[in-house]
Amino acid sequence: MAEVSTAAKQVLTSGVKPIWCPGCGDYSVQAGIMKALTDLGIERENVLIVSGIGCSSSMPHPFSTFGVHSLHGRLLPVAAGAKLANDELTVIGAGGDGDGYGIGVGHLVHNARRNVDITYVVMNNEIYGLTTGQTSPTSLFGAKTKSTPFGSIENPENPIGIALAAGATYVARAFSGDPMHMAQMIKMGIQHKGFSIIDVFSPCVTFNHTNTYDWFRQRVYKLEQAGHDATSISAAMAKSLETEATNWEKIPIGLFYRVEKPTYSALDMTLQKGPLVKQPFPTKQQVMDILEEYK
Amino acid sequence: MASVSVRIAGAHGDGVESSGALLIKVAARTGMHVFAYRGYGSIIRGGHCWYQVRLGSSELKSYGEGIDILIALNQESISNQKSRLRDNAVVIYDPSKIKVEELDGKGYRLVPIPLLDIAIAASGDPIMRNTVALGAVLKLIGINIEAFREVIKGQFGRKGDVVVEQNMKAVSGGYDHQGVQTLYSIEGDGKKRYALDGNTALSIGAYAAGCKFYAAYPMTPASTILHWFASHEDKGVMPKQVEDELAAINMAIGASSAGVRAMCGTSGGGFSLMVEGLGLAAMIETPLVVVESQRSGPSTGVTTKTEQGDILFAMHASQGEFPRIVVAPRSVKESFKVAAEAFNLSDRYQVPVIIMMDLYLSEHVETVEVLGVDGVSVDRGKLVTENKEEGRFKRYLVTEDGVSPRSVPGHKGMEFVAGSDEHNELGDLVTDMYAGLDWAIEVRKQMHSKRMRKIDTMLKNETVFVPEIFNETADHFLVTFGSTTEAAMEAVGILNSQGMNFGLVSFSYLMPLDKEKTRKMLEGKKLINVEGNYTGQLAQVIRMNTGIDITQSILKYDGEAFTGELIAKEVVTLVK
Ligand SMILES: Cc1ncc(C[n+]2csc(CCOP(=O)(O)OP(=O)(O)O)c2C)c(N)n1
Ligand code: SF4
Ligand SMILES: [Mg+2]
Repeated sequence: MAEVSTAAKQVLTSGVKPIWCPGCGDYSVQAGIMKALTDLGIERENVLIVSGIGCSSSMPHPFSTFGVHSLHGRLLPVAAGAKLANDELTVIGAGGDGDGYGIGVGHLVHNARRNVDITYVVMNNEIYGLTTGQTSPTSLFGAKTKSTPFGSIENPENPIGIALAAGATYVARAFSGDPMHMAQMIKMGIQHKGFSIIDVFSPCVTFNHTNTYDWFRQRVYKLEQAGHDATSISAAMAKSLETEATNWEKIPIGLFYRVEKPTYSALDMTLQKGPLVKQPFPTKQQVMDILEEYK
Repeated sequence: MASVSVRIAGAHGDGVESSGALLIKVAARTGMHVFAYRGYGSIIRGGHCWYQVRLGSSELKSYGEGIDILIALNQESISNQKSRLRDNAVVIYDPSKIKVEELDGKGYRLVPIPLLDIAIAASGDPIMRNTVALGAVLKLIGINIEAFREVIKGQFGRKGDVVVEQNMKAVSGGYDHQGVQTLYSIEGDGKKRYALDGNTALSIGAYAAGCKFYAAYPMTPASTILHWFASHEDKGVMPKQVEDELAAINMAIGASSAGVRAMCGTSGGGFSLMVEGLGLAAMIETPLVVVESQRSGPSTGVTTKTEQGDILFAMHASQGEFPRIVVAPRSVKESFKVAAEAFNLSDRYQVPVIIMMDLYLSEHVETVEVLGVDGVSVDRGKLVTENKEEGRFKRYLVTEDGVSPRSVPGHKGMEFVAGSDEHNELGDLVTDMYAGLDWAIEVRKQMHSKRMRKIDTMLKNETVFVPEIFNETADHFLVTFGSTTEAAMEAVGILNSQGMNFGLVSFSYLMPLDKEKTRKMLEGKKLINVEGNYTGQLAQVIRMNTGIDITQSILKYDGEAFTGELIAKEVVTLVK
């Protein structure tokens, strides 16, 4: 797991025990988020972790930061609403593949193109964990799960490709089996101004016996070491397609793409006057002035 | 004559709406009372539409049942509107385009004016024929043409005097046309009133209360709230058109949990998508105001027609039990008040407030003298920035009144996780790992009853959760909620002027209800519920809360709005 000093850990830890099975990949992700926040020295009262529903979505509870554990598939609108309301917060979204790529995939597309400055960590275990092991949008073709006992006949989604096509300005992938690299991807995502997504292979040791730690270890390689140009959208898109092209023999992790673009907040008229939550309520005179339009 | 109803009828694209708006403005400027409503279809060009503008020298409560003056801009307007013409009605039309034989021998006052020719001569623009017809209307009801100039100047002043002069030429062409003379005298009192529709009043009410975030996905008849916020973005509000209503409600919840007063709005179809989010707001006790402007259902329904068919849905939407406030404003003016109040109630009790508008209330225009800006105050309830106790902040502290102190991000020591799962006082979940353990069962009981207790607290502390009664000693009472109330009040006036003794019981707040007070108010009275739906949903609410069964009702589900005259007519057949 990623190294965090004990003192820093205490500050960011609520003391609430995570609900995950021993060995679940999500422990590493928790440590990765913690390390990133600690490294960046962000005060806990200025952090909001928003999750959906799923095993992975219990992420906010072990943290002593603010959190909203919202609805299945709805973490992005909740997170975006909070960010637009208080631009000074560091807002992190944390959820599962079912949550973000299935029921909530529409919000992924739209918040990516909005370039809302939030960091979205998807714990992609290619399965529905909390509901005890049904197929997920990223389950492989042929995957045998409780809801596809004879093998899935649907093709897996390409979340990296979707995020790129939707206009996400930071797109990365990590693996729970390489926590230091993951923490780095998350940290860079938080530092990035704009919509960041980090798709993390986070194995479900209980319900997914195909996409295991070992399975990933044999296949993943780092883009940083492969001469990938992360400023090129076409190179990034090509890399996102590589997994399927190699029939999942080669799986790139690391930074696919990063580009600087004005964030939603930077362009929003109202936010030029500061965070929404700090703006004063209208005076009676201001209301009366508006009413004049209707005379 | 106390009032005159002018109906402008034509095809979409004929400028019916802008002419109506112009007439409203001119009349309001002279101190007349105005009540106006539009009928239109979903297509943007072609198709029949109308705008009825009723003008009066005293307060009006509906747009009027019959037509006193018809401006017929196409042939269809004659055949479509003739059944609504009153005896002696005036019909303004262009004889070069429209045949009126079907109106012969009925006693109507036909006023043929070469609208098109005059319009072309005045401006070269055929659309100005509306303005020519308006000129004739001004003469008919005795409005000085200078009032028109003032409004046009205000509207086109920047475009230069040419446009103003063209308009004046066109309007004079109708005003001075031979044979057009003043037939009605509606006296304005010179007071300049606001002329606005329900959605505008609601939006301004929300703005006045400090609502800074409005999220929506376009849907008639709620879209104009989004338009209002969008066009006032420079006034410090954030309008957000999002990908769907799921995003709308959840974004508003996100904004609210970060401390901003937030609202989302839609019609029934979008509200259906918001249902799960409503429960989230209730469970994490985050304030939220939701507007549901009803239209004819089910499903896509009649997209541009009104109905009061969603109140039971709004009262019961989302799984499980939780306190909520459901309120249906009874007038344009009350839309302002209810919206401003909603944010205080939502903050005070940390419950969702659902404002039930409907197409009729959202879109009809009324003149209002005082909107009540002075009465707006802000109460954020138990919003705290400091933890008075040791250890982690107890966001869901079990209190006697059920309301817990609330914090928002940015304040040290106030951190907590708001969970849609059942949780303890700290916000820690009791579901996944602990469900069924003795202590967890206890926590569940405590937390659920804590939330539900807020209903009693609201009922104890607030005075709004009872209906209002008019003419307490009447023999019969009409019973209404929301937008039907004004027309019912008008009906009461008509019936009582015919020697009957009617009263009115009207509801704006529908949930929660003070059962005891409501029962006492209704008990032993002869009641007729008047509602814009098929099943008498208000009567069901009353029975549910008081056990009182209303056996006579007037129900309307044809998409059109009630008027006093219509209700009075139906009442007479019911009680005779
Ligand atoms: C609207 C709705 N539908 C279904 C569910 C049930 N449900 C809870 S979690 C989940 C899927 C979880 O899978 P994923 O998002 O991948 O998270 P994981 O448990 O694998 O971390 C489902 C279907 C729900 N909570 N809400
Ligand atoms: S079921 Fe799978 S995803 Fe859920 S906690 Fe266990 S290992 Fe993790
Ligand atoms: Mg999963």
